[in-house]
Amino acid sequence: MNVQAGLPSAYRAQSRRPRSRAWRSPISIHDADLLRPLLAQCALGNRQAFETLYRSVSPRLHGVAFRFMGRSDLAEEVLQEAFVRIWYNASRYEPHLAAPMTWMVNITRNLAIDQLRKHREQPLADGQQDALLDDSPSAHEQLDSEREARALNRCLDTLDGMQRQSITVAYFQGLSCSELADHLAAPLGSVKSWIRRGMERLRRCLES
Amino acid sequence: MNYQTTTLRRALAADYAIGLMPATARKRFEHLLLDDAALRTELGHWQDALASLTGTLPERPVPDHVWAGIKARIEPQVLHVPAKKPFWMNFRLLAAACAVVLALFVGVLYQRDNTAQYNATLVNASQQPALRIQAFADYLQVEPLTTVVLEPTRAMELWAVPAGGKPISLGLMPDSGKGRIPLSKEQQALLTAPLTLAVSLEPRGGSPTGQPTGPVLYQGALATR
Repeated sequence: MNVQAGLPSAYRAQSRRPRSRAWRSPISIHDADLLRPLLAQCALGNRQAFETLYRSVSPRLHGVAFRFMGRSDLAEEVLQEAFVRIWYNASRYEPHLAAPMTWMVNITRNLAIDQLRKHREQPLADGQQDALLDDSPSAHEQLDSEREARALNRCLDTLDGMQRQSITVAYFQGLSCSELADHLAAPLGSVKSWIRRGMERLRRCLES
Repeated sequence: MNYQTTTLRRALAADYAIGLMPATARKRFEHLLLDDAALRTELGHWQDALASLTGTLPERPVPDHVWAGIKARIEPQVLHVPAKKPFWMNFRLLAAACAVVLALFVGVLYQRDNTAQYNATLVNASQQPALRIQAFADYLQVEPLTTVVLEPTRAMELWAVPAGGKPISLGLMPDSGKGRIPLSKEQQALLTAPLTLAVSLEPRGGSPTGQPTGPVLYQGALATR
């Protein structure tokens, strides 16, 4: 299987191929050009390719799962389930629609959000509740801490504080508009318009 | 709603990508996606853009048991199939063969008793067929031909009425209507002579006197095949 030969070094080396798209793709950490063939091999049932894929993206997806769940046991469960889905659904990945990493992040994120919703329905113990609630500032700290010239982050910077916050909180907690309004202690109408205007502005910025 | 408006389409794709939609709206949007390539592209852009929110998250080392768990889920279940044996050693084949032999055997045995020796169709007061009775060696198979709703405090009792004699109880009709009434040796002996069968309405549990106490609902002659 040559798909896995010398992956880690090849990984970073090839990682800046321009993509022909009206929107600049902000995803660059894990390069689509390497992950795409791996996913294609997984779709054919190639276990080796799957293991290679796992070795290269699981730490990143684990980071994503942990960001959502805030607890290592829950994050590991989500991660495991995410890879099971990646394996079984690899043939459904549509390369022309989204980058491989986006697809895998979304699978992880959707599973995490499902879990969070379940947990929201059955109230958690106090400590866990805090862990879930106070993680919006840490999201900002993390975003602030790495001011790279990534398109989205640059564009997020052009947003008003509340626009940015409502988008990131909704994204990382899987909240509906009304839950978001509760969470931010703001009227539903304001939350909706923050999101709407924030996304419009993001879009213009990303397209520019 | 007009989904062709650019602004609306963009807004919906954005909402979907962020995850703001409630379940029903999400389903509706996914339905729209099915035959709208442009909308899929729009969504793809948003998803790519938003996924980069996770790009700054620190990577986390993954403990080994996670991979073990994944492998356990995706590996085809190992079937413990022993090495090839002669076909007659195959348990399932053997079991199937035994089942066939047993079925034939039971069939042959059963056939001896399996034909009804007598038949009767009992009629109601207006001479409509109401109950079919087949007599087998040691039971009666009864089958109502009309639907009867009995009060819970009532039961129907079947009687054999020998020519010129007193009715002898054969037992209560099954609650479900259709069913079997087992016959004792004496009852079996009764059924060898020509007789009339009758069903009377009785208190639950059957006639307290040993003779019919309620009205006769159905009756008919037992005919030898």
